[in-house]
Amino acid sequence: MTTPPHSTPSVDASAASTRSTASPVAAAATETPLPLEVRGLRIRHEDRPRWTPDGVDLEVRLGEVVLLLGPSGSGKSTLASALNGLTPQSIPADMQGTVRVAGIGTDHESVGRLSAHVAMVFQDPDAQIVTGTVLDEVCFGPENLLVPAEEVLERAEAALRRVGLWERRDENPDRLSGGGRQRLAIAAALALRAPLIVLDEPTANLDPAGIDEVYAALAELVATGDHALVLIEHNLDAAMQLVDRVLVLDGLGRVAASGPAREVLTERAEELHDLGVWLPESTLAALRLRAAGIHLDPLPLTPADLTRALDAIELPEPRTRVAERERESISAAAEGRANGTAADTVAPPASDLALDVRGLALSRGGVPVLHDVDLALGRGRFLALVGENGAGKTSLLQAIAGVIRAPKGRIRVAGLDPATTDARRLADRIGFVFQNPEHQFIRGTVADELAHGLELRRVDPDEIATRVEAMLARVDLGELRDVHPFLLSGGQKRRLSVGTALITGAEVLALDEPTFGQDRARAAELLDILDDLVAGGTTVIAVTHDLQLVADHASDTAVLAGGRVLAAGETGRILAGDELERAGLRRPPLATALGGLTRHPAWRGLTRMADLP
Amino acid sequence: MSAGSATEVGATTAAAPATAATAATTARFDPYASATDVPRRRFLHHLNPLATVLGPLPAMVLLLFTRSIPQPLAFLALAVLLLLVGAAVAPRRALGLAVAGIAMVALLTASFGFWADPRHAAGTTVLLWIGDYRLLEGSLLTGLATALRLTAVVALTLIGGLTSSGVDLVRALVQHARLPYRIGYTALAAFRFVPRFRYELDVIRAAHRVRGMTGGRGPIAAVRRQFSYVIPLLAGAIRHAERVAHAMDSRAFGAFRTRTERHRIPFRARDVVFIALFWLATAAILLLL
Repeated sequence: MTTPPHSTPSVDASAASTRSTASPVAAAATETPLPLEVRGLRIRHEDRPRWTPDGVDLEVRLGEVVLLLGPSGSGKSTLASALNGLTPQSIPADMQGTVRVAGIGTDHESVGRLSAHVAMVFQDPDAQIVTGTVLDEVCFGPENLLVPAEEVLERAEAALRRVGLWERRDENPDRLSGGGRQRLAIAAALALRAPLIVLDEPTANLDPAGIDEVYAALAELVATGDHALVLIEHNLDAAMQLVDRVLVLDGLGRVAASGPAREVLTERAEELHDLGVWLPESTLAALRLRAAGIHLDPLPLTPADLTRALDAIELPEPRTRVAERERESISAAAEGRANGTAADTVAPPASDLALDVRGLALSRGGVPVLHDVDLALGRGRFLALVGENGAGKTSLLQAIAGVIRAPKGRIRVAGLDPATTDARRLADRIGFVFQNPEHQFIRGTVADELAHGLELRRVDPDEIATRVEAMLARVDLGELRDVHPFLLSGGQKRRLSVGTALITGAEVLALDEPTFGQDRARAAELLDILDDLVAGGTTVIAVTHDLQLVADHASDTAVLAGGRVLAAGETGRILAGDELERAGLRRPPLATALGGLTRHPAWRGLTRMADLP
Repeated sequence: MSAGSATEVGATTAAAPATAATAATTARFDPYASATDVPRRRFLHHLNPLATVLGPLPAMVLLLFTRSIPQPLAFLALAVLLLLVGAAVAPRRALGLAVAGIAMVALLTASFGFWADPRHAAGTTVLLWIGDYRLLEGSLLTGLATALRLTAVVALTLIGGLTSSGVDLVRALVQHARLPYRIGYTALAAFRFVPRFRYELDVIRAAHRVRGMTGGRGPIAAVRRQFSYVIPLLAGAIRHAERVAHAMDSRAFGAFRTRTERHRIPFRARDVVFIALFWLATAAILLLL
């Protein structure tokens, strides 16, 4: 698989032995300390009853990449923040045990001075850029460490060249793409010349192209063998190519497994899955097949593994589903001019359409963002809008929901034209859930928040009480009814925002990146609610980057690129075609794996986990 | 903001749309903008930012106390002359500033003139009768003096403001004025928050509109609406500031009392000469006019 050749502990040992030839006697004493050594680490935040993590031991050598896994709440990020002393120095917490970076205890040195030995890369690219040019940004750390000016420049050039940003050194970091800014954060970490780099969800806020960029940069970095990496990442499909070892925490913050990545993930996959740890899609697919009596040994970790393993064995015919899905499929007249990709199905009568967009063009701040968009969607469907950042997905969604003004007569949603309908009447029919649910909260308690829309509409108080009660149960927030919305957890906030959008009886629900920056447990929770809604007849339209989510949940998909609809139609058909690649996206892991099969042509078009036996 | 997918090293073409879009937003105010390729004869750009601030400073203080018309007029003329000769300002911007300056003088003269206590101008010519109200020539002159004072102060601040970047001023303060770098650079980092918060506020407004906050009319509803934006904005701001602080800590910010300065902002003989000449001119105007 992917274990890089340099990742053996012998790198470290040989480094030590070269030294020891000089003074063999002192060899044992002067052996280079490990980049990271954690012993019996327990952390408890001031207001929490439990210790998470609870009793972690970890050693990381040069050249190694260690992945931290665990369900949300297991303390992964807390552990990461303890590795450079941020916890407990800047983030107050009780801490027991020791953390040593390059032999120095994090309790003996300030966070700032420890940065010469451990560098951090965080999730939000915007929150870690502090200067005005790419070059200044990379120089910032070494300058603070009082590195002489010539060496600062030398380090900055080396770091920027490594991540491919040297040519853009004079630009304002704001002009870089999300992936570019995150590569800049990696360069800034490299310039500190710290042997250990800790990355806490470095790609959680990026689109697929950005994720690829960051992993390409990390792969080059790992190939040099000069660094030890500790990585927290939910997107295992991208990370698996780099990782040597994994450390798995359980829900209580205890170490559930620790060892070589392939060994732990393949031999204990079921156990980890039950813990709530997110596994690579290919491994999940293999687990599903195993339950159906198809055993793949060893378990695949990457799409390529899965393709190889499936091609090596006999497979039954997959469940045929294409025929029945085709029948209920919508008409989605994609921009047909290019090559007549107009949907081959007949459009249902207009009254059955939840959404009908014709010839929509839109500008924002003088910049055209949408051109000639045609899109139609039947009632009770789940439409995913996908595309790179800047493709116009969010603008289209906002125009549909009336958040931004669209030209008259171009959009009909739930029978209304958002351009000519006032906000309140429109909100009766279509609910909008913003990316950050906090932005939508207006009232002081969860129950008031739900009642707000009904009160504005002067609904009878008894009726309000009944409907709020029902919605509290539906989004599972009954016990938290008197809590301030801002005090809810991330997943709870998201569920509340969905509840507020639906309580006025909206028949269409529009969501902007509902799973962005969330872990998979929360994402799954939300998707269950959305699936229930769709089953109950609600139409869902969501902008998303998560293409496996699209494959598994969306009945229809529209691919946007450069403000145009490149293709739209039934999800299976879209994922089987080449429009995703043309739009700069990647096919989801399962579709990639199955699409590469040579021995089982009948399996090639499958894209959903649910299609597997 | 991040439209292009610059996968390749120098994939500037892919990122071009994003660049164009952000350029429009940053053009308004960019504290990081640096004046590297300004021609030599535009000398104000090549002075230490401290000189362009310290030189006009006594004049500004003086203007707070003067009541005459010639003095502010002379300082205004001096500032405009210096800017015309020594500052590289795009013609459009220069025109805009000139129009704004004239409009400011006219507007302030009129309003101060109307509001000024007529007793101070007793005995001067009556220019206008409206019912009981009399506009005296003296009042208008007082208004003109006040307007010129304010405009001159603005023009004097522009000598530094138009010719040096915020970053360079902070660097100069740290290097020559013993400003602790932790304070200076934290202030600079805070500049980055402004566009983010502006964007965030737009999103919150849209979100509240969707929730049906448009309902109320009148000033009370408007105030309540503004207030309802504060909590989500603050919650986001505090979280963001905390993250930025952690990221800065993690990159050795504040680890030592000083830091390496790659960009020296030298304080040279010409800076001393500029300050001295400016102070001399200030004294001359004070004594002669």
